[in-house]
Order: sequence, then C-alpha cells, then structure tokens
Amino acid sequence: MINSYKYDFMRNMNMPSLYSPEEGFNKGNMFSNLYEQYKNYKPKELVGNNDMEKMYLELARICFAKHDIQLYLDLHPDDVSMIQLFNDYRERENNLLKMYEAKYGVINTDSDSLNQTPFVWATEKFPWEVNRYV
Amino acid sequence: MFNYQKKLQYPINIKKKDLRMAKFLVTQYGGSNGELAAALRYLNQRYTMPDDRGKALLTDIGTEELAHIEMISTMIYQLMKDATLEEIKAAGLESHYAEHGKGLYPTDANGVPFTVAYFATTGDVLADLSENMAAEQKARAVYENLINLTDDPDVIGPLLWLRQREVVHFARFKELYDYYKKKMNKTEDNTMISNNYIVNQLMGEYPYR
Repeated sequence: MINSYKYDFMRNMNMPSLYSPEEGFNKGNMFSNLYEQYKNYKPKELVGNNDMEKMYLELARICFAKHDIQLYLDLHPDDVSMIQLFNDYRERENNLLKMYEAKYGVINTDSDSLNQTPFVWATEKFPWEVNRYV
Repeated sequence: MFNYQKKLQYPINIKKKDLRMAKFLVTQYGGSNGELAAALRYLNQRYTMPDDRGKALLTDIGTEELAHIEMISTMIYQLMKDATLEEIKAAGLESHYAEHGKGLYPTDANGVPFTVAYFATTGDVLADLSENMAAEQKARAVYENLINLTDDPDVIGPLLWLRQREVVHFARFKELYDYYKKKMNKTEDNTMISNNYIVNQLMGEYPYR
C-alpha cells in the first residue's frame, strides 16, 4: 500500500515510521515499529459503499491517526515534526467533521447541524444501533 | 470534563446473532482484564503520576478505553439483539436473563459481576505502571482467546483491532516506565528506596507532603 507520508519520515531519522491513516486505521496502529499481527489474521480492509460511508471512514481514519500520534506526543512533547503532523490531521479532522455533519448527521454537540428542529442530537440513531457504516 | 462523540472509534456492524459469543465477549466489558477495569485503572491512577508525561498518557489511554467499553458493549448488544427466550435458554444465558433481562451488565464470561478489586493503585509509579503493562498483556491474551472462539468476520475484525490497541498501549506504558526508571537510576546509584520519593524529588514535586 502506498504511504505518501512514509517517504517524508524516512528523511527524518528521528521520526518513527508511520502508516498512512488508511492502513494504520485498518491495523489499529499507526506505528509500523509497534505493529504485531496475530497469527495469520489479516486486518479487515474497511471500504465505504457510498459517499456517506466513505466520508465517515475517512473521518474515522484521520481521527484515529491523530489520536495515536497524541499518545506518542504525550511522551515526546518536543518532537517538532510529529507536532506538525498532529496538527495536519487535526485540521483535516475539523474540516471533515464540518462537511460530514452538514450532510449526514451530528457527531459533536458543537455542530451547526443542531440549530434545527427536531433536536437531532437526540433523535438520530445512536452508534450501537447504526448498521450502515461499512 | 468529558465530551461524547456520537460515533464509535471503529465501525461495528454484526449481522449474525450469536448469543454464545456474546456470553464470552462480555468479559472484555466487565471481566478482570476488560475495558471497564482498564478505563477506571488509568483514569484513577493518573492523579498521582509524577510528571506531565504520566498524567497525559494515563488520561489519554484511559479516555480511549471508554471508547472501547462502547465498542464491546455495541458488539454484545448486536450479538444479542432480537434473541428469543428459547435462544437465550439454549445459550445458557437464563441466569443473565433472570437478573438483567436483555439488558447489558458488566460481568466476566462466568457471570461474575465487575468489581474494582480487579485493579490496583499503590501510588508507587513503577508498581502502577507495571500493573498497567500486565493489564494490557492480559487483555491482549483474552482478545486472542475470543478470536479463537469465533469464525464470524464481523466479530473478528473489531477484536483484532482492539487487540492491536492493547499492543500499542503496552508499548507506551513500557516507554513511560523505562523513562521513570532511568531518571531514578541516574541519581540513585542503584539503591532503590521509595521510588515515589525519588521521582517527586526529580520532578520538584511533593504531592504527598
């Protein structure tokens, strides 16, 4: 799988080698040096079947990439290039969230989509009832 | 405070009812190595971590464990949804039904209810972080046992994913453990006294005074 970030990391020897958000999210691990596969089980390849699912998946990937880097930064708070990457993902997450919430449904309570009747925070399905994502 | 996001950390969509698997899976909700124990363990220990690194990591991993509780609960809910009384009996879940109906309840796979005695806090940073490392390994092992018990790809996918998170969390806790250990050894000439005293001195903090 092509990882557009990986080559940037290789130039910087201080930076641990990261997977792309897509591969990292499928694997449950952004850091290739930490990845441990169980037996011959391959991670599930998550694919969106329509625009909504695709956008949701992209949001979940970016959100996950940001979070896994956050755990790293907790222990390495002076790693400049990782802070930069964290902020790249943070901005992408914010943009994706706004786009997703405007089109498909509320995720956060600060969403503009809550300025309507009924109050969709309460009326839209909860995550355990949703059988549509992937 | 905590904010709720109306989405799962990783998508779950189980199409096939499987009460037998739900009965086993519940241990990662309310068992000794489950996600509820993990969340409480880290979120409780974080207050007395000796520096910012420890406080940050335990806060962030503890918070992620809350999302994992929701994932496991979702899996149990979807595996048990639409179960008939006959199916509940056939799966040996009558005692769960007697106590809780079709509701979720944090127990282990034997039906033993959750207790905070499942985790420890000593206030000693090395002891607490060792406990956390062991907890992540035990949870990884239980996820592997659970994966071995099913062939439903909709169940295996999220279990593999959650197992991998245990691997990452273990590595981060170990990193933090090694960092504190190194700090202690530097000033200590290999004589270990109360390591909290030493760490607190190093960090210029005396939270217990």
